[in-house]
Amino acid sequence: MFGYVMVNKPELKVRELDEYQAYYCGLCHMLKKQHGRAGQATLSFDMTFLTVLLSGLYEPEEQSQCSRCITHPLVKHQMVTNKYSSYAADMNLLLSYYNLLDNWKDDHNYKSRILAGLLSRRRKKTAARYPRQHQAILHYLQDLSTCEQEHAQDLDLAAGLTGTMLGEIFACEEDAWAPYLRRLGFFLGKFIYLMDAAEDLEEDRESGSYNPWLPFSEQEDFMSYSRQVLTMMMGECSLAFEQLPILKNAGILRNILYSGVWSKYEQIKEKQKHV
Amino acid sequence: MFDPYQVLGVDPAASEDEIKKAYRQLSRKYHPDANINNPNKAQAEEKFKDVQQAYEQIMREREQGYRGGQANGYGGSAYGGTGSGYGNGSYGNSQDQDFGDFGWGPFGAFWGSFGEGQQQGQQQQYQGGNSPKMQAAANYINARHYNEALNVLDSITDRDAQWYYFCAVSHAGLGNNVNALSYAKQAVSLDPGNLEYQRLVQRLESGGQWYQTQGTRYGQGGSNCSSVLCTICALNLCCGSCGGYGGVRYC
Repeated sequence: MFGYVMVNKPELKVRELDEYQAYYCGLCHMLKKQHGRAGQATLSFDMTFLTVLLSGLYEPEEQSQCSRCITHPLVKHQMVTNKYSSYAADMNLLLSYYNLLDNWKDDHNYKSRILAGLLSRRRKKTAARYPRQHQAILHYLQDLSTCEQEHAQDLDLAAGLTGTMLGEIFACEEDAWAPYLRRLGFFLGKFIYLMDAAEDLEEDRESGSYNPWLPFSEQEDFMSYSRQVLTMMMGECSLAFEQLPILKNAGILRNILYSGVWSKYEQIKEKQKHV
Repeated sequence: MFDPYQVLGVDPAASEDEIKKAYRQLSRKYHPDANINNPNKAQAEEKFKDVQQAYEQIMREREQGYRGGQANGYGGSAYGGTGSGYGNGSYGNSQDQDFGDFGWGPFGAFWGSFGEGQQQGQQQQYQGGNSPKMQAAANYINARHYNEALNVLDSITDRDAQWYYFCAVSHAGLGNNVNALSYAKQAVSLDPGNLEYQRLVQRLESGGQWYQTQGTRYGQGGSNCSSVLCTICALNLCCGSCGGYGGVRYC
């Protein structure tokens, strides 16, 4: 269900794109360093966003280097790491691990099961380091499965569970900014959940799986209604972002929040037109 | 009187980036870590707290401006009223004094900023009318116990416009913005003349409206779908050419 929080590349400045890619490569590097090759395979755009966000907010000391890696063997790439790419790598591992288990449970996807098995030991260690975030993920999975079983006819409920969990992940330190990061993560999480559900709508209709959009999908104005709801979520998310004193990386972050997150939406819309 | 613009040394007409810049400079200067050997350590820490408070206050007021509150009139002299109002209320003010610990969830703070528009720095107090159950719901809302408020509201069968309004307020406090908007609209349709209900609808919709005007500056899709499709092509190309982009993503 992840991968929506990406940049809108053509709208980025060249310098910003370089910086974004340096964070992306840095996160990949930290994943490998902290969690091995299997960990590296879980790299995501969402946690790249978290790295860029926290680096912009806290402006930590950064290590910058030029290096080759297995995915870019020919060209040297600039990469930037700091304590927040390390944090995001740990969060990436926790989220991926449970997501893989979920894929296994739902679809009996063997690839997921194998990768989850490879990550299991690292997951235990990482969970012990971040008990608050780990508990949030466990609670989330439990509540979400109850919500799905009850077929809750409520757009806020399941999305809110995702949001609450992501808010806990975003609030990496209990400081003055934690409430803002929770709010930002909360509405971003709601957006991600609802966007993902919109993408899966037809599939879920056929398979009879839970999807909060289903009761609304027969309405004539469904497309404009779903867009309005998704826009509301990003509105609240972005208002929380604008409250933070972020100057560094602000261009990249605004590109993602105001534009990049919609990259897949047009694809989804196209898909639904053909149904 | 606490003038946040004076504390940050910026003009009330300053842009948000200027405010953020000023905040960053000052908070770095007065940060406890930077003043360990300073003989006036205590003063620096005091100043550090003031800077933090000033920044958060300005940003909160500006957000209200975006939400169509009265904050447009803030800045300069109009603003002083808020400053003096602080510290008087029963709660809601802890927000302004004790940073880092709002004492309630993020939407309490979100909601708290709603009420302030009308009563200058103080939380709006809800009155429940004649029914004891509605009064109980109002009390829960005032204490920011939104789940309890919803439980009480659920047990009420006589549902008037105010009932829908209270539901909307409670849901907004919990971050349930879709439900909140739907209840608020029902309240308006039952009592179209009520300004308070209208204002709630406007505030719940304001985030999305503000977002759309901001979004056009960053090439937001929708009106310009070809550019978004280009984005996807560009991303895919990148996946193809450098292999690693995306890799085995966990989606």
